[in-house]
Amino acid sequence: MNGRPNSWHSTTSRLILIYGSLFVVWGAVLVGVIQWETTRYLNTVIDQMLQQRMHYIASTEPSRLATTVDAAAAIDPHGIMSVGLFDKDHQPVAGNIDHLPASLLRDGQVHLLRHGLPRPDRDAERVRARGLATTLPNGDILVIAKDISTIDGIGAIIRRALLWGLSLTIIPGLLGGFLLRRGPEKRIRELQAATDPIRQGDLSKRLPVSRRGDELDQLAGIVNTMLGEIERLMNEVKGVCDNIAHDLRTPLTRLRARLYRTQQQLDGEPEAALVESCIVDIDEVLTRFRALLRVSELEDRHRAACFDEVDVGQVLRQVHEFYAPVAEDRGQAFELDIQPLTPVRADAHLLFEALANLVGNAIKFTPSGGKVSLRASMDKRGPRVDVIDSGPGIPADERDAVTRRFYRGDNSRTTGGSGLGLSIVSAIVRLHGYALDIGDTGSSGARLTLYCYTLGPDDKVGTCLSRSVPEVTPMTV
Amino acid sequence: MPQVLVIEDDETTAREIVAELSAHGMQADWVANGRDGLAHATQREYDLITLDRMLPGMDGIDVVAELRRAGRDTPVLMISALSDVDERVRGLRAGGDDYLTKPFAPDEMSARAEVLLRRRQPQAVVQRLRVADLELDLVSHVAYRGGQPLTLLPTEYRLLEFLMRNSGQVLTRTMIFETVWGFHFDPGTNVIDVHIARLRRKIDGAGQPALIHTVRGTGYMIAAANEAATVVS
Repeated sequence: MNGRPNSWHSTTSRLILIYGSLFVVWGAVLVGVIQWETTRYLNTVIDQMLQQRMHYIASTEPSRLATTVDAAAAIDPHGIMSVGLFDKDHQPVAGNIDHLPASLLRDGQVHLLRHGLPRPDRDAERVRARGLATTLPNGDILVIAKDISTIDGIGAIIRRALLWGLSLTIIPGLLGGFLLRRGPEKRIRELQAATDPIRQGDLSKRLPVSRRGDELDQLAGIVNTMLGEIERLMNEVKGVCDNIAHDLRTPLTRLRARLYRTQQQLDGEPEAALVESCIVDIDEVLTRFRALLRVSELEDRHRAACFDEVDVGQVLRQVHEFYAPVAEDRGQAFELDIQPLTPVRADAHLLFEALANLVGNAIKFTPSGGKVSLRASMDKRGPRVDVIDSGPGIPADERDAVTRRFYRGDNSRTTGGSGLGLSIVSAIVRLHGYALDIGDTGSSGARLTLYCYTLGPDDKVGTCLSRSVPEVTPMTV
Repeated sequence: MPQVLVIEDDETTAREIVAELSAHGMQADWVANGRDGLAHATQREYDLITLDRMLPGMDGIDVVAELRRAGRDTPVLMISALSDVDERVRGLRAGGDDYLTKPFAPDEMSARAEVLLRRRQPQAVVQRLRVADLELDLVSHVAYRGGQPLTLLPTEYRLLEFLMRNSGQVLTRTMIFETVWGFHFDPGTNVIDVHIARLRRKIDGAGQPALIHTVRGTGYMIAAANEAATVVS
């Protein structure tokens, strides 16, 4: 869930679009059916009228037919119901139809006039019309037609009603949808904000659940249950790990004390050296337990009492001074390059511990004759520290794995250490809200960059570990 | 013989402390709870108190705070299972002089106890420290061996000063790191060894008797050869 969700991809938007489209289609079909039925009914009525009128006029005595046709035409000055009598040469005899409609079949059935009819009250305007023609026994042709613009008008009214209906439904629907979408979006943003500390490793946090009990609440409830279980399991694992380290320290310390006394008593005896090597081994185990418990201690620490304005450059100079003899003894060049830096808010002791672990690691993995560089410069948002070495580097596929406790990469299996150094760095970085990036130098060697500020989602780094940071092994030179 | 009051509720730990202190020539009294410990500490004159942080009856922090309020400046070595820096700071701010976390190596505890006892001894304001023919001028920050000046880096000077101020006293690597560098975590013991080795190369030149001695399994000590022989094999 990175960044702001696309509004048009929301479920609400999708539902609105789907329902809107269905409504438009259904509305159009419904109105179309109504219009079709209405038109068909009206056409049937007109057809019956035309048939009746034809029957009436055609049954007139032939000698009076022209008079009757003229009389019928005279009472219809607007040409709504036109009538025309044509001789067998298609010449008009009576009525208000000037030309015999060429395409009109003379079968006594009502047809739509292909070219319509001219309206006598409207210059040169032709209107749609239905009509029928029949050939009389004397060879004359009687034509009756009716303007059907009224039916078209009714169709237009129905279509306008459809448009009004859709407009009055869709526009408020879209507005309502927009407003409806804001609610879930706001809750999604709240959920997103609530997951930030969880993604950063604080498994004690939970997603907010409202009283609505809707789908989002149900989902949040499921996630919260899952988080609870994850937290319980994590605490169990961590507790077991810590308890083992804690409980074994005491008997090991006693064992060490006995060996120490034995060593004192064997002063000068050949066995004293053997006892001493046992003490060294026990010290190494105790060192690992101390490191393990130190990680837990730092992870459980939620204080800021010792946080103050710290000069990173000063801390780096101390780290450099502390490790310079070690690098020199190992035949390594140990370079220090500090640009002017702004102060950072940090616990100086913990910052020293983190940087000491990074530098100690770099020295440990760099072969004799190699080079370790400790550089500090100002990034766009704060100081950054690069620890660069010419050792074998950390393979890209191991850069996330080295964040795990006790992880030993292929390059580190033959070296000393417990695999907890970077866990300590990780915990310190997390405590400060800083970020660590594990990368390479372009050739061989590793580059570990400590950003003394919190990285944002737009920061482009290789292995961005703002809250979950890798581990290096403690220094054993 | 220095008199030490051991305030510790865990019998096994208390026995360890008493045995180790006795092995270093101290007379130790053991008290198992805070109230009795405070009563003993205020009624008798002790040279040193080892004080457990968590005690029945009265918390170790309260004991040392009460002791200081009563005007007693007896050095207090706080011993606690609480290893967090915050706890260490609380203990020291309440009036403790040093802080050791459990479980501890007895030789580390005795070394810290001896340093505290040494600090308690009235010392004249000195301008020069001397161990055999090694001298350290605290004003000019120059060291001399056999009258010849030695070139020391600032860290080497601080390291030598700490060793010489506690000459004849075993100092653990942790104590050296805490005092000389001022940090409280485990930096990896070998780094301290490297610094000591470099200092040793400057101090103990070829043909000269060694003054910096390694105390096997514990740490380092600076002493004249004849003084060191009784402590270091």
